[in-house]
Amino acid sequence: MTSHLLWITPLVPFAAALLMLLVRSRRALAAMDVAISLAVLALTVAIARQVQVHGAVSALGVFRADGLAVVFLLLVGLLSVAVSVATVGWMRHEVGRGQMREDRLHWYFALVHAFVATMLVTVLSDNLGILWIAMEGTTITSALLVGFHGDKHGLEAAWKYIIVTTIGISFGLFGTVLIYGAAAHAQGGVLTGAMNWSSISAIAHRLDPGIIRIGFIFVIVGYGTKAGLAPVHMWLPDAHSQAPTPVSALLSGALIKCALFAIIRFHSIALQACGPEFSSGLLLAFGLVSVVVATPFIIVQHDLKRLLGYHSVEHVGIIALGLGFGGPLGTYGALLHVVNHGVTKALVFLVAGDGIGRYGTRDMRRMKGFLGLAPIAGTLLLMGAFSLAGTPPFSIFVSELIVVRAGIAGGRFVPVAIFLAMVVIIFAGLIHHVGQMAFGSAGEGAERGREALTPLLAMFLLAAVMVLLGLWIPVRLDEVLSAATGVAGG
Amino acid sequence: MDAIIAQVSRTLAQAVLLVAAGPLVTGIVQKGKARLQCRAGASVWQPYRDLLKLLRKGTVQSDTASPFFRAVPVLVLAATVTAAALVPVLWTPGGGDLPFGDAILLVALLALARFLLAVGALDAGGAFGGMGASREMTVGLLVEPALMLSVFSVAVTGGTTELGLLAARREALALSWTAPDLLALFAMLILTLAETGRIPVDNPDTHLELTMLHEGMLLEHSGPGLACIVLATHVKQLVILSLVAALFLPLGLAQGWGAAGLGLALGAFALKVLALSGFLVLVESSYAKLRFFRVPQFLGLGFVCAFLALALRVL
Amino acid sequence: MSVELATRLIDILGGLLLFTMLLILAAGQLFRAIYAVAAQAVFLGIAGAVLAAATGNVDLWIIAGITIVAKAVLLPWLLMVVVNRVHISREIESVMPASLTLILAAGIVVLAFHLNASLGPVRQAITGNALPVGVTLILIGVLVMASRRKALVQMVGLFASENGIFFTAMAVSQGMPLIIEIGVILDVVLGALVMGILVLRVRSSVDTDIADLEDLRG
Repeated sequence: MTSHLLWITPLVPFAAALLMLLVRSRRALAAMDVAISLAVLALTVAIARQVQVHGAVSALGVFRADGLAVVFLLLVGLLSVAVSVATVGWMRHEVGRGQMREDRLHWYFALVHAFVATMLVTVLSDNLGILWIAMEGTTITSALLVGFHGDKHGLEAAWKYIIVTTIGISFGLFGTVLIYGAAAHAQGGVLTGAMNWSSISAIAHRLDPGIIRIGFIFVIVGYGTKAGLAPVHMWLPDAHSQAPTPVSALLSGALIKCALFAIIRFHSIALQACGPEFSSGLLLAFGLVSVVVATPFIIVQHDLKRLLGYHSVEHVGIIALGLGFGGPLGTYGALLHVVNHGVTKALVFLVAGDGIGRYGTRDMRRMKGFLGLAPIAGTLLLMGAFSLAGTPPFSIFVSELIVVRAGIAGGRFVPVAIFLAMVVIIFAGLIHHVGQMAFGSAGEGAERGREALTPLLAMFLLAAVMVLLGLWIPVRLDEVLSAATGVAGG
Repeated sequence: MDAIIAQVSRTLAQAVLLVAAGPLVTGIVQKGKARLQCRAGASVWQPYRDLLKLLRKGTVQSDTASPFFRAVPVLVLAATVTAAALVPVLWTPGGGDLPFGDAILLVALLALARFLLAVGALDAGGAFGGMGASREMTVGLLVEPALMLSVFSVAVTGGTTELGLLAARREALALSWTAPDLLALFAMLILTLAETGRIPVDNPDTHLELTMLHEGMLLEHSGPGLACIVLATHVKQLVILSLVAALFLPLGLAQGWGAAGLGLALGAFALKVLALSGFLVLVESSYAKLRFFRVPQFLGLGFVCAFLALALRVL
Repeated sequence: MSVELATRLIDILGGLLLFTMLLILAAGQLFRAIYAVAAQAVFLGIAGAVLAAATGNVDLWIIAGITIVAKAVLLPWLLMVVVNRVHISREIESVMPASLTLILAAGIVVLAFHLNASLGPVRQAITGNALPVGVTLILIGVLVMASRRKALVQMVGLFASENGIFFTAMAVSQGMPLIIEIGVILDVVLGALVMGILVLRVRSSVDTDIADLEDLRG
């Protein structure tokens, strides 16, 4: 029964996407959207339960759900629901503002669900080739979404996005091919399961370290491009800022995490084949560079969504740092950060979308007095910003703390010191930006309508998770994360 | 003693063959181009008639030219014919005791010919001569190293730069080319276009000043002097084509003076030269001449191919 | 077909792929680059056929066929359709001097082959020189994308890179599973389609080349 769940879960949103192409009414589309997302969340929770009780599940020889996959599955499911709920109100506002055309809505919803379906396949695949195919599928669907508005900047962002990430994950494919070759060679010829992570992982200690090293370098550069690791992160601020807001939330919250999922899979192979220093060292280096590179751009930023994009780069760097520090503590921290950042970033993007809709601009210097105009959303904005900056009692503080402890425990004082310095600078910059936005009095151009209900609902949901995880980690979640840490080789 | 005489006579025979057949190859290329342009074109023997016509004419020389200018055509022809003697056309060297010279000497002789032409053009003091000379030397600067690299990439496996031995080795290996061989062949084909002064590097049919490289240097010569230089051009073209054939296209080299073997060798040589001429015809008819500042880019491609051919042999 | 003959043929095809890659890099006109990448795909198909004959893996015949249809016919045709619709100038401008790119390309080839020489016995898993040629094609493809201004040339560079990956993938062991190869080709074609759509949309709204848009900075 459970093994069927594995291929049903991505099929549901994909079939829904095809169906949505036939529907024209906005209300019907929104209703379908929410319903399908809830169904996806229910399916992912069911899979998670099964894995927790019975251990890893496989299906059709290419799919697999184990402890690690469950973490990402739940994240995608949760964000999908939040985004769908928020879209109801957001879409109504956008159509009213003239930003979205009613006759193209069915394409939008269909693409979003196809996008979610490809992300689910990515996380559920055991076969490394299917992983790549699904990842490219996410690029194709999300590129169309990034350029959906059709304006010059959107198309420029979409072009940069698709070109850079396609060549990036091509590198990843090459790395996959090399590792597959090494595995086949170790088996003495081709083996039907040789492209599966589970089979390769089982014989990982026998693989030739030289070729695994080259393969892993290609993989981390390749999938790292998709994840937003510096120095190949250039496309990220453009794409995440130009996309429609719910899509930005999915991109920053879920998609870059799926790319990290791929890197973690290969990392666990490389850990056994080449020893811990090589891949951990690379992850550490890339992570640190990402954090350092993102910081100045955050300080000088004017565009709100671009600011959030650079923040994503920084946080992906933190996750890579956690993986680089390694050990059970570092890996646990990294995985917890995956969840925390996903939730928080989606929240802030949704709030930002609300604000942009209100002020009609993305420039933060022109957005003032948000708290006055929309008290609830404004409060959530402040909470989200503090969380992103790493303040207690929010969730990101907890995961960052775990990562720092892992670093200190490993004796890596210099990276930890640099990291903390950057965090302090970012804290200052972020609070400055958001403070300017939240306080003061709004100008005349700002809309003073009632706050839309559904976006608030979604934001509450995400904020609740954010605060909850900041205060205490539920036992169930802890078990899930520990299992995932074990799979990831921590 | 007999062996030496045999070797000398073979070398002379090859040189005579190349000198005699040079204008014919040019005629064939002209005819091919004409046919592709859907016109009848001049006969393939026309270059011979042109040479005879030039021999009958008188010489006119610029006032500012020195006596050296009179010597240039003869020296150029001498250098080119000597180069022709070095190329293995029909025979593999069987027990040769006299070291006649190798690939490096060949390239050096062709470079000498180019240098003499350029000096003569500068000597005459005309503007076109100066410009043509400077352009031709630039092309030479790019082509000669690449030529050396291509030859070396073949010589490295043969362990010698003696052309005859390399040709014999190619003969023995027959059709087994490797990746470096292919790269060296492509490089040589690009360089052939440059050395023979054909499109896209230079236009041999024109006398417009802006498009002249080779022709610019010939402007000041006349009469028998010009005939010598034109013959040298024909021979140089055939020498380059024979070099490509010897290094890369195997089969058909004879051993002794036996009629059957000779006939086969002659036929094989004719076939290879015809194939390469066909290549020249196609390239000349399909492309336009490159602007001069783009020529280094084109030749750079040839240089990189030659370099990679050598590098891949070594790695 | 014996393994040595197959290895030799793969070596020759690798040399041909290298040469076409250099042609793409040095191409002065767009349609020459497109023809070169189509020729690359044909060589790729031939390589697939050679490997199929050598290893007896039936799937490779199918892959070779699909490669030729999709990458040698479909993709170049797509590019030509976009070129004709868009009326762009045929000349390719580059960001860095052509001689520098050629030198970088030579350096990449030397590096890739040196890398290959430093590998151990695992080299046997990959037939002939497929690994260094694959690495070379990928990296030079990226060089083409980084050094050229036109969107369509960047797409050509992308396709050439993917040809390199395919070459290595086909030569690894006995080739990758059929379903994976088909999925990869499908993705490549869909990706190309989306890129073509983006190029055309930009053309119709703003009259510049999409790769020239540089407004998003900082």
